[in-house]
Amino acid sequence: MRDMVTGAARAINWNRLEDEKDLEVWNRLTANFWLPEKVPLSNDVQSWATLRPAERELTIRVFTGLTMLDTIQSGLGAPSLMGDAITPHEEAVLSNIAFMEAVHARSYSSIFSTLCSTAEADDAFRWSEENPHLQQKARLILDEYKAGADPLRRKIASVFLESFLFYSGFYLPMYWSSRAKLTNTADLIRLIIRDEAVHGYYVGYKFQRGLEQVPEAERAALKEFAFALMFDLYEIEARYAEELYDGIGLTEDVKAFLHYNANKALQNLSYEALFPAAACEVNPAILAALSPDSENHDFFSGSGSSYVIGKAVATEDEDWDF
Amino acid sequence: MLDAVKPDLDYHALNAMLNLYDGEGRIRFDADRMAARQYFLQHVNQNTVFFHSLDEKLDYLVDEGYYEGEVLAQYPREFLYAIWAAAFKRKFRFPTFLGAFKYYTSYTLKTRDGQRYLERYEDRVVMVALALARGDQALATRFMEEMLSGRFQPATPTFLNAGKKSRGELISCFLLRIEDNMESIGRAINSSLQLSKRGGGVALMLTNIREAGAPIKGIENQSSGVIPVMKLLEDSFSYANQLGARQGAGAVYLNAHHPDILRFLDTKRENADEKIRIKTLSLGVVIPDITFELAKRNEDMYLFSPHDVEKVYGVAFSEISVSEKYAEMVEDKRIRKRKINARAFFQTLAEIQFESGYPYIMFEDTVNRANPIAGRITMSNLCSEILQVAEPSAFNDDLSYARMGTDISCNLGSLNIAQVMDGPDFGTSVETAIRALTAVSEMSAIDAVPSIRRGNDLAHAVGLGQMNLHGFLARERVHYDSPEAVEFTSVYFAAVAYHAIRASNALARERGSTFDGFERSRYADGTFFDKYLDRDWLPERAEVARLFEGIDLPTRDDWAALKDAVGKDGLYNRNLQAVPPTGSISYINNSTSSIHPIVSKIEIRKEGKIGRVYYPAPFMSNDNLEYYRDAYEIGPDAIIEVYAAATEHVDQGLSLTLFFPAEATTRDINRAQIKAWKSGIKTIYYIRLRQTALEGTEVQGCVSCSL
Repeated sequence: MRDMVTGAARAINWNRLEDEKDLEVWNRLTANFWLPEKVPLSNDVQSWATLRPAERELTIRVFTGLTMLDTIQSGLGAPSLMGDAITPHEEAVLSNIAFMEAVHARSYSSIFSTLCSTAEADDAFRWSEENPHLQQKARLILDEYKAGADPLRRKIASVFLESFLFYSGFYLPMYWSSRAKLTNTADLIRLIIRDEAVHGYYVGYKFQRGLEQVPEAERAALKEFAFALMFDLYEIEARYAEELYDGIGLTEDVKAFLHYNANKALQNLSYEALFPAAACEVNPAILAALSPDSENHDFFSGSGSSYVIGKAVATEDEDWDF
Repeated sequence: MLDAVKPDLDYHALNAMLNLYDGEGRIRFDADRMAARQYFLQHVNQNTVFFHSLDEKLDYLVDEGYYEGEVLAQYPREFLYAIWAAAFKRKFRFPTFLGAFKYYTSYTLKTRDGQRYLERYEDRVVMVALALARGDQALATRFMEEMLSGRFQPATPTFLNAGKKSRGELISCFLLRIEDNMESIGRAINSSLQLSKRGGGVALMLTNIREAGAPIKGIENQSSGVIPVMKLLEDSFSYANQLGARQGAGAVYLNAHHPDILRFLDTKRENADEKIRIKTLSLGVVIPDITFELAKRNEDMYLFSPHDVEKVYGVAFSEISVSEKYAEMVEDKRIRKRKINARAFFQTLAEIQFESGYPYIMFEDTVNRANPIAGRITMSNLCSEILQVAEPSAFNDDLSYARMGTDISCNLGSLNIAQVMDGPDFGTSVETAIRALTAVSEMSAIDAVPSIRRGNDLAHAVGLGQMNLHGFLARERVHYDSPEAVEFTSVYFAAVAYHAIRASNALARERGSTFDGFERSRYADGTFFDKYLDRDWLPERAEVARLFEGIDLPTRDDWAALKDAVGKDGLYNRNLQAVPPTGSISYINNSTSSIHPIVSKIEIRKEGKIGRVYYPAPFMSNDNLEYYRDAYEIGPDAIIEVYAAATEHVDQGLSLTLFFPAEATTRDINRAQIKAWKSGIKTIYYIRLRQTALEGTEVQGCVSCSL
């Protein structure tokens, strides 16, 4: 990163923080590092075989949709936010976010290669490229990621993607796992949710700090933009959900989940809720399934989603007092 | 399978409400009770095959090959009517959704297409009782009563399989030695496949296999070490499962002073290369006292080539006490060695535990000092509670036995502490449990692995466990982390040990035989009993005495009489107690797991077969929540103290898991390990971590959520 005034290259010093949040989130993200190889997805092969063909197709489609969002976020979203970073530490956190999004996109391919045939996966990728709703929402977000776009609007788009758009897809593996299906896949998705929750929260936090720096009129304009974008995205999401989930009769439930997450996304930006509580009554089985930790599993059939990379501290003489 | 979501909530949604507070911030226990009820109304009752009479049911199940006809043929019909009537008269009901759900998904007998249920809970209990009692009507009735009252719960393989025609074995747990030659490795892989297929968890000892780079037939740098063997084993366990009922599972143990130790641990690293990454195989490390001494002095620890050690001493590396021979082996030029820093080793151990929960630890010298049986204990099992002696086998070129050693099998079952404490006769409950476990041993003959069969025939080893300690203490308004809890544990386990030994002594008298090697044991020379004759193991605190009111506890005189009886007639079972982690069976039995604290007020349980389900701690209500502080809040120290009190009276081991917040460091884990070792703990099972929510990212209103 270059000094704004002198143009001289600067080395990042993590001992001189301008915003403590950068270090807190950095520590959390690095502790949460994971790779898809740690999850024994192949234990889901038998369970996959019990799904009906239509259910399998739905599942693959949902995952290609998620892959696309992660691809956007990894290749364009997070890198474009880096250009707006105020501090070198923020830039470092965003580079971690960009990398983990690439890991997420990679994970879906691990699921495909473990559970389904190449032809099935290729079909689904083709479907995602041709699906109008998916393309439409990608376009709306990508518009805000373009070079020269407003940094705060970019953050709004990013938070909506991380905290809202993913969830129409996340619903399905959570649903399956509450029905004892694809439970290891659900573990992997929970690891992704664990990351996305922090990403959305962090970018939202940076948005709020940015908001403090702009005049009142601009603040109002941004809020108007945010709600307008949310309306547009919600409309597309609703149609996307109908197309995917009508066939198995889950659309109403998915929509309640969308409302719940739309409110959470707005909350990350410090805005009030859009949907009334009554519209957000998520099926308890799904809501409870979101929590990644304190899960008690038999370790022989899964790896769980609660392990982290620990902090290494050497023992001292006093510890060996015996 | 996709049931459309109905406007009124289905049982999964009702069960999940347990994990979400109501408007007043109270836990919705009623939702779970409703879930259990709805599960029966919406699902179980509609999918259960109906029979008009017991005759019709039994005839059908025998004719269609579901039940083993031989089991029923040992009893007159009148007795069968009576025992079934007595069982159903008790009006058993599952108090939680998970208990019912787990039973019907994983245990009960189903039609071959898996669609309809053929048994209710009472049927399963009676069939297990009839199978284990082998025609003894009084004993069958006792087994039925102990099980249906919830006092005794056999381990999964026994409870799942007994009485069924096409079934896996009744035993859950196997331990195999591997020696330093290809025949032994090949035979071990074959045995793992065979045992996995029959539903067992298998642990294997790798300590004796020569390290990577060691010479083969005198040519240097030829051996590939233990990692490729682990890979082969991991794939074997994934391949073989018990008719799909249980995933095959395995563990491997390695001595800390084996030269491959760091490579062994690195297989569980988050960024390990795919070629060496181990996903589903469990790891255990055997640590002798000397490693702690070296770390205390902040010295290096030497790692010794097993191949050279065997050449020098003429016995396998595992048969050497590293603590005893350490200095000698360091000085011996014939033994190839390398060194690592001892403290760095412990730190690496803790780092890997952070990332994966593994490895388990067995404190080798503690285990062997406490072992009353002649011979060495060199490994533990998949749940780190089995600690028994084994002998090596030797093979011919065609893989037949040149010398058949003994390998270990152990069948388990657990008492529900709360139910036993409430029961009519403490001693009889323990004795009945030992008789049931002995029956499993006598009925088992694992011919696929002759060394296992031989070990079982000679030893009749069993493992009586305990569960629901925290549930019991909380119900009695005693905190888990209190001196009262430690004293209760000590007195309780001493009493269990007394009655278990008494039962095994009675069995020896009845059968007219003892386990092989009894005369060389510390039971035979009487030294085992010293600590029970030197002091009382009775309650001292009034609070603890209150808990034991009405229970006849063994006095020093009782112990002295038992010592004489054992000296005269011996013991039938070489091993008696082992405290397993009790996963599934504690849900069915409405218990907290093992003698651990609860992991959460509302536990989230995930398993391949049942998905994600929520389980409330037993006896918990919105009025006694303060006694249900979870394991992370209680912290490792109190858990170690309770376990140390129990360990004193358990001849084998106890699965001890330690719990830390994610903010803990490797140093915190190391300190807990040091404390555990100092306190006389024999093994440590998993390290578990809980991450608290980054403020602003938590799921709102959730009992156990912290993202």
